[in-house]
Amino acid sequence: MTPTSFYTRRQFLERNALGVGSVALACLLRNDGLLATPPAVPRTAQSFDLKPKISGSRGRARAMISLFMHGGPSHVDLFDPKPELSRRSGEDYSGEITFSFVDRASKKLFGSPWQFQQHGASGTAVSELLPHFARIVDDVCLIRSMHTDINGHEPSIWSMNTGRAQPGRPALGSWVTYALGNPSQDLPAYVVLTDPGGNPVDGARNWSNGWMPPLFQGTVVRSREPRILNLDSPPRLQGDLQRQNLQFLEKLNREHLARHPGESDLEARIASYELAAHMQLAAKEALDLSGESEATQKLYGLDDPITKEYGTRCLLARRLIERGVRFVQLFVNGQIWDNHENIRKGLADCCRKTDRPSAALVMDLKARGLLDTTIVHWGGEIGRLPVTENHGAAEKAGRDHNGQGFSTWLAGGGIRGGTVYGATDEFGHKAVEDRVSPNDYHATLLHLFGFDHSELAFHYNGQPQHLTDGKPSRVIHNLLA
Amino acid sequence: MVQLRRNALRRLPAFPFNGLRAGARALVLALGWVALGVVAGGSTASNGASSLTFEQHVRPILKAHCFDCHGEGDALRGGLDLRLRRFIEQGGESGPALVPGKPEASRIYEKVRSGEMPKRDRKLSEQEIDILKRWIQTGAVATRDEPANLSEGMQITPDERAHWAFLPLRQPPVPKIAGGRIRNSIDAFLAARHESQHLTFSGDAPPLTGVRRAFLDLWGLPPTPSDLEAYALDSSTNAYPRLLERLMQSPRYGERWARHWLDIAGYADSDGYTSDDSPRPYAYKYRDYVIRSLNRDLPFDRFVVEQLAGDELALTQHRDLETAAQDPIAHEWLAATGYLRMAADGTASAGVDQDTARNQVVADTLKIVSTSLLGLSIGCAQCHDHRYDPIPQADYYRLRAVFEPAYDWKNWRKPSERLISLFTAADRAKAAAVEDEASRLAKEKEAKQTEFIDAALRKHLEKFDSVLRDALWTAFKTPADQRTVEQKKLLSDHPSANISAGVLYQYDPKAADELKARDSKIAEVRARKPVEDFLSALTEPIGASPVTYRFHRGDPKQPREALLPATLSVLSSAGLSPDLPLPSESPPTSRRRLAFAKWVTSSSNPLLARIIVNRVWMHHFGRGLVGTPANFGLQGERPSHPELLDWLAAAFVAPLNADPDKLGLGWSLKRLNALIMTSTAFRQSSARDAAMEQRDPENRLYWRMPLQRLDAEAIRDSLLAVSGALNDRMFGPPVPVREDAVGQIIVGIDKKQGDNKMPVEVAMGGEEFRRSIYVEVRRSRPLAFLNTFDAPVMEVNCEQRTRSTVAPQALMLMNSDVALQQAQLFADRLRRDAGPFREARIARAWRLALGRPPSRDEYESALEFLDRQVAKITAQAVPQPDAAAKVPAVPAPSPEEQAIRSLCQTLLSSNEFLYLD
Repeated sequence: MTPTSFYTRRQFLERNALGVGSVALACLLRNDGLLATPPAVPRTAQSFDLKPKISGSRGRARAMISLFMHGGPSHVDLFDPKPELSRRSGEDYSGEITFSFVDRASKKLFGSPWQFQQHGASGTAVSELLPHFARIVDDVCLIRSMHTDINGHEPSIWSMNTGRAQPGRPALGSWVTYALGNPSQDLPAYVVLTDPGGNPVDGARNWSNGWMPPLFQGTVVRSREPRILNLDSPPRLQGDLQRQNLQFLEKLNREHLARHPGESDLEARIASYELAAHMQLAAKEALDLSGESEATQKLYGLDDPITKEYGTRCLLARRLIERGVRFVQLFVNGQIWDNHENIRKGLADCCRKTDRPSAALVMDLKARGLLDTTIVHWGGEIGRLPVTENHGAAEKAGRDHNGQGFSTWLAGGGIRGGTVYGATDEFGHKAVEDRVSPNDYHATLLHLFGFDHSELAFHYNGQPQHLTDGKPSRVIHNLLA
Repeated sequence: MVQLRRNALRRLPAFPFNGLRAGARALVLALGWVALGVVAGGSTASNGASSLTFEQHVRPILKAHCFDCHGEGDALRGGLDLRLRRFIEQGGESGPALVPGKPEASRIYEKVRSGEMPKRDRKLSEQEIDILKRWIQTGAVATRDEPANLSEGMQITPDERAHWAFLPLRQPPVPKIAGGRIRNSIDAFLAARHESQHLTFSGDAPPLTGVRRAFLDLWGLPPTPSDLEAYALDSSTNAYPRLLERLMQSPRYGERWARHWLDIAGYADSDGYTSDDSPRPYAYKYRDYVIRSLNRDLPFDRFVVEQLAGDELALTQHRDLETAAQDPIAHEWLAATGYLRMAADGTASAGVDQDTARNQVVADTLKIVSTSLLGLSIGCAQCHDHRYDPIPQADYYRLRAVFEPAYDWKNWRKPSERLISLFTAADRAKAAAVEDEASRLAKEKEAKQTEFIDAALRKHLEKFDSVLRDALWTAFKTPADQRTVEQKKLLSDHPSANISAGVLYQYDPKAADELKARDSKIAEVRARKPVEDFLSALTEPIGASPVTYRFHRGDPKQPREALLPATLSVLSSAGLSPDLPLPSESPPTSRRRLAFAKWVTSSSNPLLARIIVNRVWMHHFGRGLVGTPANFGLQGERPSHPELLDWLAAAFVAPLNADPDKLGLGWSLKRLNALIMTSTAFRQSSARDAAMEQRDPENRLYWRMPLQRLDAEAIRDSLLAVSGALNDRMFGPPVPVREDAVGQIIVGIDKKQGDNKMPVEVAMGGEEFRRSIYVEVRRSRPLAFLNTFDAPVMEVNCEQRTRSTVAPQALMLMNSDVALQQAQLFADRLRRDAGPFREARIARAWRLALGRPPSRDEYESALEFLDRQVAKITAQAVPQPDAAAKVPAVPAPSPEEQAIRSLCQTLLSSNEFLYLD
């Protein structure tokens, strides 16, 4: 198949418009139901497409990249300095604490082993573990009062990712895709970049469309071949082999068509293979970093074996957003932030892997003028306790789960840079000031995209469903530029 | 017009609670009506304005927009009744609403023109307002004498009763048409229309095409080369009818045609409604009942009766359901009622609003019943009188009353409480004995556990000073609800002293392991229990006879008058009560469903025969004689061939009679299939013809056989059949589906391990290659391959499938594991079947996949393709670094083998394979 034999998309649609049944046409016009599996039946009650739900864009944000740090990054060691905790380190905590691991539970306060320093014009205090994050604080709003009120990983992930601490609802990315549609011609609207070390806790549910049609499911760009499900040629057919296959297929199909002249469905199906092949190229191009300058590659840490992998995915995220993808979410392997034991080493390792690439993403988006319209999110589902998790020796100390208070940061897409919002108590145990629930977080995101969280509804079982799940939710205007 | 309806759907505003389905449909229908009005207007309204009448043009508009408050609703607003022209002129509290000839002086026109009426958001369209205006201008004509009295509420007009689908079934005379192409009466009816349009049937399709068509139609599987050879060698004149007979005698027939019925019945192996979507482990017994019934050609009327009232039939012969379930015949009847257990049922899920969830089960069941057996969308009448069809709201609740004893939302039984045990007394005794032993072991384990926890705590407490140690010990050993405030605080301050069974492993892993081993032992013992099997059936509690109320606005919290079970008003002769005849004494069941089933299958209901005949026609030709197979109401499509439809329906229900002049099929689906498939209409070629295309571009008049893409199951099953992998084991629990590592649903046993829940491959021993009908239908986990090719996701049921042509289908065939695996198996089969030589393999590949030998040209292209592939593969064969690192378990296939696999995959992706010619 020579490049000239590709139809343009318009031609493809026009050809289809002439002959294919209107149902098929509706599917084709669903601006890139083409990559996600299309809904099986356009049901009488609802029809789905990837067109925007509002005309024009009322919101500042057009896209979002979520750097999801599941496991529970220790906010008191990274983002939320607690002098009182350091001062009383080693004393017993007098308040109530819920532990997940009671055998190692202790009430001994554990001051952060790391120093905090103020950075940027805003003077935001940041831990020495995050030297790169320290360089972007003036573009970031740091929220220090997140809370899910649940200590378990999964329910908190569900809260942060779907609006309810139960499994089965559509992920944030599905909602954003549903609301905004897909401007990309050749790429899926919602992309998930998983870690080569494995899936996150709870696996594929993290990017599930729940009860929305599969059109709104996250498409996994895997860390290894095949990068996109069914998109990449199988290893056996790499190179020109699949092209030979398609040429041969087209020859057979053309001969078949010659016996059925004018049968538009057959023509449309021939064209669908061409489009599929075209998409393979478009996705390949998007995922190919060789055209990125050395300076850019270096910015993301591709020159360092420790940051190379995560940096590559951050850079991919930027390339995808540039090409019209709406929502990209990065996961890390397993539970690297779940520092129950030996937090001194474990937490430092996590930061070395992610700090430079995360900061590079914000800097790069800003330099390219994309930060104004792209929200960057960095954060997990819980934080960690201010007391020691006891493993016998001081150097083995860690911290247990804490859903009562933790930190998250946002940048871009209409977020006010250089701000710190909310606070935990003097020990960093509970969010106490300007508390932000997952539902508040979602309401604010939707606002940035131009939607009212109480209005954006998906009908399921005859009832309007909302990302914020009917829970008390507020748009936090103090975060907005 | 269709386009307009679709666009309308996209503009759907948000509908409030529970109104979505009905509301959306109403809007679609409304716009559909407008579209119809515009089209009709071309010939009537705009040209001959004088022909506008109240009955035909104005009343439907008023019914759709105004009757709710002005005539049919619970209250008459402003005292104004718009149901008769006379009433409009008479007017309401504000005076007359109509001045014939003077629209501007007519209140009714002014109110809608200004947008003041209707009060709700949806206003009349400009066309509708214009029709109203011109009707008044031209004298506000009513053509019928209006009744002197009109009782309250919805009135069914003579015009509505005269709607084609509601008229009694009659057998129209077969047109007398001579000519060699007329094989049976179907052809005569079609040819009669051809004559007037200067169309003719196309020539017969080539024999091998005809055979492939018959196989895929009746089996959903392609013919094998030996099937084709046998047919080619059969020179008898009745070879084709004999082939059809053979195909319909095979169990493969039931597996194919059951799928069609399961679509409209809404078959699913899970409860749906909530995200739990818990499995329905016994639903498959209904699927198996349908397959068996179709295979033995159970007369369709009997099939319907058993599905609606099999439990009531069983209790006419057995004293209780458990006894009945042991009788093979009654067992089938009970399994049949699985039809009424197909709707999603979330009432066992935690956290659902029970009132809503229960009433949703009833509403969904009524949708399944009405769309599959009545061909009407009665759901609109749940909240108010149907705006377009003559279905008063009361009719909906009378129909609901039929099912109320079994589905009593006030005395609800959850899915698990609706199962009928298949345990015998002996099974039960054995189970009790095993349970006794297990309980004894459990008690022992319990004691051991306390011992271990105490020991662990003692050891742990050694770290504390003796005072604290004793205090903690005492606090711990005090039952939680008897602890003092101090004790509670003490334990809270020393969380590590709170040892429970769940955290024992953190203190004494060995002890925890021993307890685990004891648990396994207990589980082992319990595993010896005979497995209790169940039937999922719809049954009634003995003597149940709940009262059914009409719900104002469909809201269960606003019950109005009580209603008795009845049929549809529009189908009963005017003036007669549509109530169902019920027994006066009280048998163990209400017999309501039995009475309804008898009525549904009787000649009083002309809809059932028309609907099923139309469905069968649709499955053969890709579209029905009526294009809206589940809506035969006023907003449905008109039949393209009304006489043919009625003739077929009448013949279908008539007692068996082979005489072509008095043909009777005795409700036999197999005979109906044979009749249709032996017609010239079915046997003709699918070739196009420019001249005829100009006269009938959409082939509405059947001058050629339409080309059809195989449906999802036929594609998957054909892949398996051609590759030789197909496992034709019948019946039984569904073949499970699972999520793969990236969330795609594939056939497989769901086993995940580790924190990151990576799926683990579990060998399935050939189960994975069973026919698609046996693959689990988990509503929330639609099999990716089938889903991509338009298999329905069962929200409620699927009235008609779509056939899309989209790039993911191409990607699925190009790159998915399923496609690659089947191509490889196909290539392996070619090696086995045809030996080492390319030439033989190519010929065999064509015969297996496409049912014909390759043409000379194709043959040459295939050889050339293989050459190119082999050359490329050889050139590309660079040793892989990590492949070289370890010795591969299986030697890599040779370039020739790889090339053959590509050839196989290409054939299996080709249009000729995917389409029925």
